[in-house]
Amino acid sequence: MGQGGEPRRAQAYDGELGAAVARAQEGDEAAFAVAYRLVQPGLLGYLRGLVGDDAEDVASDAWLEIARDLGRFRGDGAGFRGWSATIARHRALDHLRRQKVRPRSSALEQDMLDLPGPHSTHDQALESLSTEYALDLVRALPRDQAEAVLLRVVVGLDGPAAARVLGKRPGAVRTAAYRGLKRLAQLVGAESVTDERPRTLGEST
Amino acid sequence: MTGEHGTADGNGHGMGDERPYGETSPAPEPSYGNAAFPAKGAQGEAVFLPRGAHGDAAFEPKVSYDHGRLEAVLGAALLGAKEDGEAERRAVDAFRVARDTGAHRARTRRRDDWRPRPQRRWGRSWKATLSVLLASLTLGGVAYAAIGAGGHGPAKGAARDEGVRPSVTTSAPAPSPTAPRSSAPAPADRPATAKDTLAHCRAYEKLRGRGRALNSTAYRRLVAAAGGEDNVSAYCAALTELATDAADVKPGKRKGQATAGSNADKNKSKKH
Repeated sequence: MGQGGEPRRAQAYDGELGAAVARAQEGDEAAFAVAYRLVQPGLLGYLRGLVGDDAEDVASDAWLEIARDLGRFRGDGAGFRGWSATIARHRALDHLRRQKVRPRSSALEQDMLDLPGPHSTHDQALESLSTEYALDLVRALPRDQAEAVLLRVVVGLDGPAAARVLGKRPGAVRTAAYRGLKRLAQLVGAESVTDERPRTLGEST
Repeated sequence: MTGEHGTADGNGHGMGDERPYGETSPAPEPSYGNAAFPAKGAQGEAVFLPRGAHGDAAFEPKVSYDHGRLEAVLGAALLGAKEDGEAERRAVDAFRVARDTGAHRARTRRRDDWRPRPQRRWGRSWKATLSVLLASLTLGGVAYAAIGAGGHGPAKGAARDEGVRPSVTTSAPAPSPTAPRSSAPAPADRPATAKDTLAHCRAYEKLRGRGRALNSTAYRRLVAAAGGEDNVSAYCAALTELATDAADVKPGKRKGQATAGSNADKNKSKKH
């Protein structure tokens, strides 16, 4: 996960994000808005995986804290995504503690196993992956796997950064992400995703 | 790493490992077998098994795995793309308030520092500290050994009790008969003796007037070599001078000799 390659979403925006954060730290609120727009989608996706429908509220709380503590932050664009994800995660865990609700329900899984339907091919299954369905898939994973996958795929963190957000060793997070993705591949009905399909360079990470 | 139970199916394919069943071991990196692993059956089954029963997840390729496409699709599907101007406005408001109230001048905590290299820097500084520590221990050891062999050791030992003195006397016995009698030139021939005698000289200067220590064998020898207690200072001075001279001269001499020797060789070879 770490060495293999940065998640591509991460690379595309990091320079811009880093510059925006730096300007925001100097007091530029327009730059802060730019940073918000760059980070919020990933953050929200991650939080949806953690707290489901409450993601918007939790994200809002997280942004209040991010806005307040921005002066404390040190780092570049990639660092900012990790830092903000850590804050969001803490807010999400607080939220879950308050609600005493597990981030996923075991009932989900059974439903979902029936869901895939008559996708004739792997490609079709992937192309038609709706947000709701993808979310259900991810939330059916054990929590550590779901978080590792989300931080990598949605927030765009590399291995070490994801490990820092989760407070775990990079190896453990890498393993969790791998297992999670493998399980997802199975659930989508894409047995061959791991081994057999030759891929173009542009597609693989 | 593998909290899950490996299925018998999975374990049978474990690489060149001597252990037939990998499930008892923590299975560190059972990696490369995966590509060749006929995964169809296991994975097909796994879909219908309750979670936790599919041990094939224990196989992880060490190299980059190919979930790129899945990741891309998942990422696109899960991205919270919903535009919410309200939420953004609240965040920016909070930013403005924090900025205007000076909250942004708060100091950086460890968890706020996401600069790329802090860990590595820590690692390096630890290594640096460790190597400095090791170096100081080594140098300290050398210095201590030098003290033990040189002037201060015997001085202390002599002052306290005779028990420590063997360190000097053991090295002394052989050279001492020759060194004192043959007086000045002898030390130059035998560096070890010269050093000992020099050391005795240094110790002598320190201990002069303190009595008991100067009754010990080594110093009595020194006195004998100098030819009387009054002459010890002069003897030692001559010896020290000689030693420094020798140290200065020797390298040059050797070079000269070496070149002379090689020239001679060349001449010989020419003649032949």
